[in-house]
Amino acid sequence: MDLLSHIALGAQVLFVPANIFFCFIGVLMGTLVGVLPGLGPTAAIALLLPSTFYIPPVTAIIMLAGIYYGAMYGGSTTSILVNIPGEAASVITCLDGYQMALKGRAGPALGIAAFSSFIAGTISIIGLMLVAPPLAKFALAFGPPEYFALMLLGMVVLIYLAAGSMLKALMMGVFGLLLSTIGMDTISGTQRLTFGILEFSDGVGLIPAIMGLFGVAEVIVNLEAGIARNVLTTRVKDLLPSIQDWKDSFLPILRGSVLGFFIGILPGPAPVISAFSSYAIEKKLSKYPERFGTGVIEGVAGPEAANNAATGGAFIPLFTLGIPCNSVIAVLLGAFMIYGIQPGPMMIAKYPDLFWGTIMSMYLGNVMLLVLNLPLIGLWVQVLKVPYPILFPIILLFCLIGVYSLNYSTVEVALMIGFGVFGYLARKFQYEMAPLVLALVLGPMMENNMRLSLVISQGDPMIFVTHPISAGLMAVTFVLLVSPLIPWIAKRRKKLQEKVGGEEV
Amino acid sequence: MEKKINYYNRISALFFIGVGMFFSFYGRMLEIGVWSEPGPGFMPFWSGIVLIVMAVFLLLGSFKRKEWQVMPPFFRLADSWKRVLRAFFAMGAYLLLFEHLGFTLTTFIFIAFLLKTVFPQNWKRTLIAASATAILARLIFINFLETQLPLGFLGF
Repeated sequence: MDLLSHIALGAQVLFVPANIFFCFIGVLMGTLVGVLPGLGPTAAIALLLPSTFYIPPVTAIIMLAGIYYGAMYGGSTTSILVNIPGEAASVITCLDGYQMALKGRAGPALGIAAFSSFIAGTISIIGLMLVAPPLAKFALAFGPPEYFALMLLGMVVLIYLAAGSMLKALMMGVFGLLLSTIGMDTISGTQRLTFGILEFSDGVGLIPAIMGLFGVAEVIVNLEAGIARNVLTTRVKDLLPSIQDWKDSFLPILRGSVLGFFIGILPGPAPVISAFSSYAIEKKLSKYPERFGTGVIEGVAGPEAANNAATGGAFIPLFTLGIPCNSVIAVLLGAFMIYGIQPGPMMIAKYPDLFWGTIMSMYLGNVMLLVLNLPLIGLWVQVLKVPYPILFPIILLFCLIGVYSLNYSTVEVALMIGFGVFGYLARKFQYEMAPLVLALVLGPMMENNMRLSLVISQGDPMIFVTHPISAGLMAVTFVLLVSPLIPWIAKRRKKLQEKVGGEEV
Repeated sequence: MEKKINYYNRISALFFIGVGMFFSFYGRMLEIGVWSEPGPGFMPFWSGIVLIVMAVFLLLGSFKRKEWQVMPPFFRLADSWKRVLRAFFAMGAYLLLFEHLGFTLTTFIFIAFLLKTVFPQNWKRTLIAASATAILARLIFINFLETQLPLGFLGF
């Protein structure tokens, strides 16, 4: 009954013209960035953030969330038609999706991708509604040691999954923590490393950092060779999958949805891991695993469901603990803070309209995406045909304006360019961006909680292992850190890394 | 000559040792405090030390004799560095100029420069694309979103 009244509240918030309109804009922009290779949802949300300052927070969050799950929808289009994934989460869709397109079945492939995304999106929203409130209640028992341990675990999971050297990923995490110390110390009020620059008092801006590391650096890397795209010229027809297609896809969609939702809760590049895991599961369960990779519809339905469900799951740590589990959610956390809302255990109770309104908007957004994606495929194909030499200056321009319009500060624009240079070089030296961004976001919270914990325990660091919840989280962190030293775990980790390599988390 | 990953690791390790040392010294200059009451320098100091230790491990590891991964050329194509440099130059110039020249004019120059120099387009295409982008961006950001972008001495 309680749930129904909450749903009614969410519907009441959502069904005003402005919120419906911005929900539409969000999913439309999301699909667009999903279609365009070289611009991900993180940079897109950061880019559009300043334009939301003039609208109410609920409306803004509805739009920004729409970009995230919209991008997952859009990513599949490029995978199927161009064999270039718009998003890393759609990499696996290329395998069977593009093969289906080559066989003249681009229509059903796009159709099932859209339908499975819709079904999975719906299932994950239901999961979010059911899981988030009790988890938020549980999180009320968290004190500084528990929060510190949880954030440390979140970072270590992300580092554990980083492609390549774990040591290098750890170094990027620590570098992020160091950068996060720039600005005014909230406990003592001391200015740290600000060098008299006013903009640094609030710390290194998250948006300039993300735009530089993900937006600018990504464009520059692509510039070196240019992105060659060969859009399939055959007419996309028969978007509605046949009865046989539905029979083949039904169970993979359900399995992918459940899997994606639970993986989504974990820190890291959940949409990618869930899509790859779903593909592996479907291949294992299939009566004809040898046909995977040649254009079977299960290879599209399962992963597409999984990566969409993961986006719903990813909101749970944000709404219940106030902790982002990937860089997209980190930008959303930044947005919440700009609007003066602190996500965490109290958020659902304090801002029920925002929480339930956003959830209901996700449902509407999924319906919009289904309606958008199927008839507008032709438009997205045209967008794909825009040559990269024309597209990249526009993306760079948007990055420059986006960051400037945050605070009308040229210092922040310079910071973004600096992060762009660093991100470009770090990619060349095979360093991961995700641990840096997460550390930059979590750093101030981690530092405060660690210092408060030490003050509470009068300097005894054992506080982190004497509190049961924090001890459990610390134990998992420790296991993750030492496990790569055990050869068979190292091998499995390497396999997992190969799956998530290159993901924008 | 082809380079291996350990060569890259060596360079980056030295960079991070420098970063770690900088933050540690800075942390010391602030107040590190004591365990029961950590000061503002506590986190920069200890994180800096941790970064130095990690970077030293990376540096020492890079001298190990083993089959290191051969890296692709730093720049993918012979003229890639020119494109990269031009793009960064354009962004830097945009930053310096747009408060003086104004948003619309600087945007036009920025887009035209990149179109003409990075993947060179013909003049007609360059001018049409640069004008269209500058006008559309102005309409969207200044007229529609009412963003306070500088208009410059020309007033647009």
